[in-house]
Amino acid sequence: MTRPAPDRRIADLAGTFVELRTALGRVLVGQDESATGLTLALLAEQHAYLEGPPGCGKSELAAALAALSGARTHTLVFHRDIRETDLLGDVLLSRHRHRGHERLRRELIPGPLLQAEIALLEDLPRSPGEALGPLLRILAERNALGQPLPLESAVATGPLEQVEAPIDPLEPGQLDRFAVQLRLTGLLTGGLFDEAAVLLERGAARESSRTAVRSTATPRAAVMSSATRKAAQRAAAALKVEPRTIDAYHRLLDRLRLRSADESASGDRLMSDRSFSSAALRLVRAHAFLRGAPAAAPRDLGAIRYMVAHRLPDEVQEDFDHILEELLGDPPNVTMTETGAQMPGAQSQGDDSDGAAAASPASDSWIDDQADLPAPPTLFGKPPPPAQVDPLLRALVGRIERGRIDPDTDPGGQPRGYRPLRDLDELIDADLIEALLFAEGRLPGAPRTFERKRKSAGGAVAVLRDISASMAGRLTVWSSQVVLGILRVAARRRMRVGYVEFHHRALPHQVGGRLLHRSYSRLAEQAGQAKAVGQTNYEAPLRTALEGLRGGSGRNRHIVLLTDGLPIIGDTTVRRERQLARRLGVALHTVFLGNGDCPPVLDDISLETGGLRFYGRPLTGGGLRLEER
Amino acid sequence: MSDLTPLRDLLDHHVVGHDEAKAALLLALITREHIYVEGPPGTAKTRLAEVAAKGSELDFFFYQLHRDTRLAELVGDIVLERRKVKTEGTASGTAGEAERIHQRIEPGGLLTAEVAVLDDISRAPGEALNVLLRILNERRFGAEPIPLMAAIATGNPMDDEYYNEPLDPANLDRFALQLRVSGLIQSGVDEAKTLIDRFASGSVVEQPDPEPVTDRTTLDALNRRMYEVEVGAAVRAALLDVLRTLVLEFECNETNSLLTDRTFLVKAIKILRGAALLAGRDAVNLEDLAALSWMTTFRVPPEAHEALPRIIGRVSRQIQAV
Repeated sequence: MTRPAPDRRIADLAGTFVELRTALGRVLVGQDESATGLTLALLAEQHAYLEGPPGCGKSELAAALAALSGARTHTLVFHRDIRETDLLGDVLLSRHRHRGHERLRRELIPGPLLQAEIALLEDLPRSPGEALGPLLRILAERNALGQPLPLESAVATGPLEQVEAPIDPLEPGQLDRFAVQLRLTGLLTGGLFDEAAVLLERGAARESSRTAVRSTATPRAAVMSSATRKAAQRAAAALKVEPRTIDAYHRLLDRLRLRSADESASGDRLMSDRSFSSAALRLVRAHAFLRGAPAAAPRDLGAIRYMVAHRLPDEVQEDFDHILEELLGDPPNVTMTETGAQMPGAQSQGDDSDGAAAASPASDSWIDDQADLPAPPTLFGKPPPPAQVDPLLRALVGRIERGRIDPDTDPGGQPRGYRPLRDLDELIDADLIEALLFAEGRLPGAPRTFERKRKSAGGAVAVLRDISASMAGRLTVWSSQVVLGILRVAARRRMRVGYVEFHHRALPHQVGGRLLHRSYSRLAEQAGQAKAVGQTNYEAPLRTALEGLRGGSGRNRHIVLLTDGLPIIGDTTVRRERQLARRLGVALHTVFLGNGDCPPVLDDISLETGGLRFYGRPLTGGGLRLEER
Repeated sequence: MSDLTPLRDLLDHHVVGHDEAKAALLLALITREHIYVEGPPGTAKTRLAEVAAKGSELDFFFYQLHRDTRLAELVGDIVLERRKVKTEGTASGTAGEAERIHQRIEPGGLLTAEVAVLDDISRAPGEALNVLLRILNERRFGAEPIPLMAAIATGNPMDDEYYNEPLDPANLDRFALQLRVSGLIQSGVDEAKTLIDRFASGSVVEQPDPEPVTDRTTLDALNRRMYEVEVGAAVRAALLDVLRTLVLEFECNETNSLLTDRTFLVKAIKILRGAALLAGRDAVNLEDLAALSWMTTFRVPPEAHEALPRIIGRVSRQIQAV
């Protein structure tokens, strides 16, 4: 039927996807990049992962893609109680009587997710491991219960890394199942006030607000039929890739690899064969198809930028356009925005989103930084003179992580195994078949139920800093650095922090009447302003900190005592405080700064409570080196 | 005039003082947003919610959360459903019978209420709290929408964390309106005298049951009217300037605040409209911006929250000057 003008037909198909892209771009204010990325994902039949701060419109954008594309959609909101049956379908328990005995078999009836063309997986990282594993396998294989799935794209949403404390972030290996990875910026926190004004104006339109309240109800008409969508996907997949494009792609990968190896901040990023072979080339083809090109040219490699959020270090991502531009010797804008003829008004939107990309890392870089020890962030003012605090921080991080790695049994945690049912209320968490047999009185003993565990949430660290007169000068600067380092470590783990300066008295810096809180930047400011006066007293600050820690729970609680001298005032052996710390399970780490001899009481304090012992020796060049005592 | 005047009068009749809490509660009912009230025990938090619910003939669910709170107590009973299914013969040749097994919850409690009071919300164990917050957020359970208009959660001040971790700010974000109240007697305000006089006179039953003065139909009509309240360019500019000040001057960011686009660019408009409606106006004006203080209580650092009235004042003056 397409015989008379095949090119014409291809152009029409591309046109519908351009229309989709334009409509999608109108859904959210200032998130144009993501609209393009999602369009490419659907065209290339790849899965996509959208992440961003809460309330920035991730779900709305994903739902709009589903509605506009006219695909059969199933939405699944993940939560910690989601079960295998929610993903796959209901359980079918069949009984077969056979020669006097009964055979029980458990099967699954394919549920709506397995019949969807677009699957919307909201809040995916909230899913417990037992549901996530099978799901990701199904997504990758596009095959379940022995049948191929009609699935074209799964679009998952999730929070920004480490922003929401109770969630274990997905691992790069799990995220790798999503070829397209997009990061959305909050308009307010990203400082995009012009876009925020546009959004306010939209919400203020009379009567329209009902739709703005909750995205899911927004009715959107499909811009294409299923047949068109599928034909376009086939045509895009069949597009030729020019040899010079392949050549450029090899060179691009070389450069990205090289740059990623350069960056100390590479962390756990992943460039897998799976993504960078077939998925990447499908996206490149889709990019060319959307542009209306007959074959994929080198500039279509711009599509790779929608893949990199979790595959390349942040610094390399930011530089991606530049790297590609250098490689191609072309002007920087190699994306959709060039095809101005097909998308009127796209050019200016493209500029906006570039601004978004540039603005986003600045706001949260100091907490999202993967490096073990990032450079002192600008938040803390001018960089302090050199002190080598790394060994202390590394050891401290080790202790903190040890407290976090062993998960505690917690009803709010994730399933990490089975145990017998102890309470009828737990039936909701029990194995369905066993629960049924149990209810019928046919199960000897109790049904299995999930054993839920959670890593000790948060934890707390209190820093006690000696500001007695002898700490004047360089020691003040160094101890500030140690405090700032500990604050960074705590901030990255969302631990509550407390900060107590002391001389003959303890001077706790409370926020809202509490010693322990999460106002990291405020404490950082305080730590930079310490003045050295008075004499040393260990008892008062230890007592203050222990009182502060007393109310909390959990095992991951630490006190770091920074001092340069012998205690003169108060109980110099701090006997009662040591006892209390042991009873509460608080680790007391001690750091002795300066050239003098370390008071033996510091060793006692640390040894008794399982704390670290450190020694800070001034170097001839003016720096400070921290070593274990 | 606002149609909720009778309800406000009823609240005033039954509870002395707490003007702010009363206004915020009515705002929650009009805008259909949840509200979190933090304050010491015995400050009429629950009583206010109860009077509001009974005074508007709404289904009322009260639950005191505690460390052993069970999920079933909040949402209803867990039901295992079995349905017989025919199966074809299997490889072994015998046709068998099969059962389709499905787990669901018979809705009750929170799932059937129109107004819910969740007392001491932070005391709930993680399991119940997670489900609870999810229901509040999605306003549906499974695929079913729930009739809940507003949930009023209460909590004790954060320094009382002996038995429980304080609620995560991300969890508190479920409550669009957030405020702190303090006891009348403890804060020594004039109403304390009124309160004591009232009970001293001996003519008052301690907790009389309020008569209904309004109903769901009225509240629904108000909710519809709210969406027609005008939000002019000046108000929008002022709101944006306030938010800009929080971000740029008070350094509110993703690590120390919950300044989300959904709350402050979408829901804020709703709250402002509701505030205007309560004041009996068809258009939002600069005075209504004061309602923003009920949104920032636990979302921005304390110093930024405390400075908010000052920021709003400054911004309003600038906008008026233009």
